[in-house]
Amino acid sequence: MEHVELFFKSIFIDNMVFAVFLGMCSYLAVSKKVSTAVGLGAAVIFVLGVTVPLNWLLDQYLLRDGALAWLGPEYADYNLGFLSFILFIATIATMVQLVEIVVEKFSPALYNSLGIFLPLIAVNCAILGGSLFMQAREIPSLGLALNYGISSGIGWFLAILAIAAIREKIRYSNVPAPLRGLGITFIITGLMGIGFQSFGGMLTGDNEPPEVNQPATVETIEEKEINKEIEDEEDAISYNEVINEEK
Amino acid sequence: MALQLKRRLHILREKYRGKKMAPAFNALHTFLYTPNDTTHGRGTHVKAVDDLKRTMNTVIMALVPCLLFGMFNTGYQHYSAINGFPENFSVFEHFLTWDNFWLGAVTVLPLVIISYGVGLAIEFLFAVIKGHEVEEGYLVTGMLVPLIIPVDTPLWMLVIAVAFGVVIGKEVFGGTGMNILNPALTIRAFLFFAYPTWMSGDKVWVHGAVERSNEIAAGANVDAISGETVLGYLAAGNTEGIAAKYDLADMFFGFIPGSIGETSTFLILLGGLFLIFTKIASWRIMVSAVIGSLVMGLIFNGAVAWEWIPEYSKFYGLMSFEFWQHLLVGGLAFGIVYMATDPVTGSQTNRGKWIYGFLIGFISVMIRVFNPGYPEGVFLAILLMNVFAPTIDHYVVRGNVRRRMKRAQNATIHPKLTEESEALKVETV
Repeated sequence: MEHVELFFKSIFIDNMVFAVFLGMCSYLAVSKKVSTAVGLGAAVIFVLGVTVPLNWLLDQYLLRDGALAWLGPEYADYNLGFLSFILFIATIATMVQLVEIVVEKFSPALYNSLGIFLPLIAVNCAILGGSLFMQAREIPSLGLALNYGISSGIGWFLAILAIAAIREKIRYSNVPAPLRGLGITFIITGLMGIGFQSFGGMLTGDNEPPEVNQPATVETIEEKEINKEIEDEEDAISYNEVINEEK
Repeated sequence: MALQLKRRLHILREKYRGKKMAPAFNALHTFLYTPNDTTHGRGTHVKAVDDLKRTMNTVIMALVPCLLFGMFNTGYQHYSAINGFPENFSVFEHFLTWDNFWLGAVTVLPLVIISYGVGLAIEFLFAVIKGHEVEEGYLVTGMLVPLIIPVDTPLWMLVIAVAFGVVIGKEVFGGTGMNILNPALTIRAFLFFAYPTWMSGDKVWVHGAVERSNEIAAGANVDAISGETVLGYLAAGNTEGIAAKYDLADMFFGFIPGSIGETSTFLILLGGLFLIFTKIASWRIMVSAVIGSLVMGLIFNGAVAWEWIPEYSKFYGLMSFEFWQHLLVGGLAFGIVYMATDPVTGSQTNRGKWIYGFLIGFISVMIRVFNPGYPEGVFLAILLMNVFAPTIDHYVVRGNVRRRMKRAQNATIHPKLTEESEALKVETV
């Protein structure tokens, strides 16, 4: 269930393009034809699916606070989080290079059809974004990280597929001259974002048993403050009562 | 009288022929009368009486019953919320009354006038600036917009939304027939996301409810009136009691609160049949959308029946709602008949229409149940499928091309005689 929820959520609700507006550069540049868009989208799915789990491992065993504890107790205090950006982008660049070499060696046809897009992916912010979101959202397991990578990739794939089809459709439309090209594409992206809003807020609610069954509730800071105020007031009232009685 | 008007329009048109304002006068000239011009020698050979204007007028004819019903219903809901719902409800005594109609007309007609006024003004402006004929695309949009918004929507909001919808939703793509998203739904979505408090909740669906609550907040001694839609009521987690509030006939004939034109499934059904009969709207989309919503409703009913979902879940109320009753409440029926079938933004291929319609129904019911923020999620589902319609079309066309290529490759120019045909030949000889 956890997996299904994350899968659905990262494709539709937290869509890379329409919810967080990442990967816009290649999304805008390479969406003129459906066939090339499909190639780029597939490459993004693949690279996200590989780099997010790898970066999860890096984050888990190297970067986060206390991650180095496996080296020995004296390393438990180190927090290498400030290296995240460099290491993540290094992983991504390495992986993209590796993928490129492998694809070129074993499937020259696919390599030719992807062309410049494969190396371009290294600088696609959706890829780095995927890894950083993975870190920020503290995804708990390697399996979920893999799921997150692949499903965000699918979300991006759907977005570029849809806009490529739309752009093919409006190729002969009488768009006002100043808006032709990128301008109209930006407007379409915004309108598509409205369409994707239909999923906004979905699956966010609590689906837990009612409060009575819950063993312990975690107090948020605000609640704590309110409770404290109430207690203070009660103290004050009882103090007044005591004084009144004494009088 | 009429002839005189026609002649005057004609004179005006001749006067402005070739001038900058010509498109505006041409549009007025042909609005009510068929022009005398005929197709000349060269050029197109397709001749049809139902041009864009007639097509649009047909849809408007299908919409008029909904509009009139909406006026009566506005009055009925308002007076019932104040005086209490009548016992022994009879249509003629309590519903089709002058009071109801008058109140409805006074509240609804300004919305219609504003919608048409602003929208057509922008259309005329663009036509004059760009120097092409005025396109009639806004005729239907202008009628749809008042029908899919709550009755108390302030007019200035409508002005802004219509301007946004017509300019960003349609004109930047090059006008009628080029848009990606349905303009009426774009306007609805703009209103929904820009002014959410005016578009959902339990105060907006009955005329006067917002005013009343403001008066109460100011200290007036009057009773609050409110009217939730059936879906809002269910989404709030009330699992029982919908039968006590409205029965099936109420929901089918539309004596329930809701957006102005969407409540009466009966009249929408009539309008839909009319559109299918006149071949304006695609029956494929309508049928497949109905199937899609029924399938999704059945899945949810199944989840409840097999106890996959606990009773304390906030989705329980809407999930246990009978699957076919989803079509009776909210904007689903209206959306399927008048919005999803938009020939411009929907799928163009026949197979694509089946997929497109099915997904609209499917996602609408899914949003209704899963998204507590938008119980009226039909318009968003249609917008989402508008986005994906070109993709569906692209792959349907590609599939057709591939199949035909295959057929062409396999076919031989002189088909070999099979055993059967040879036997036949022998027999005939």
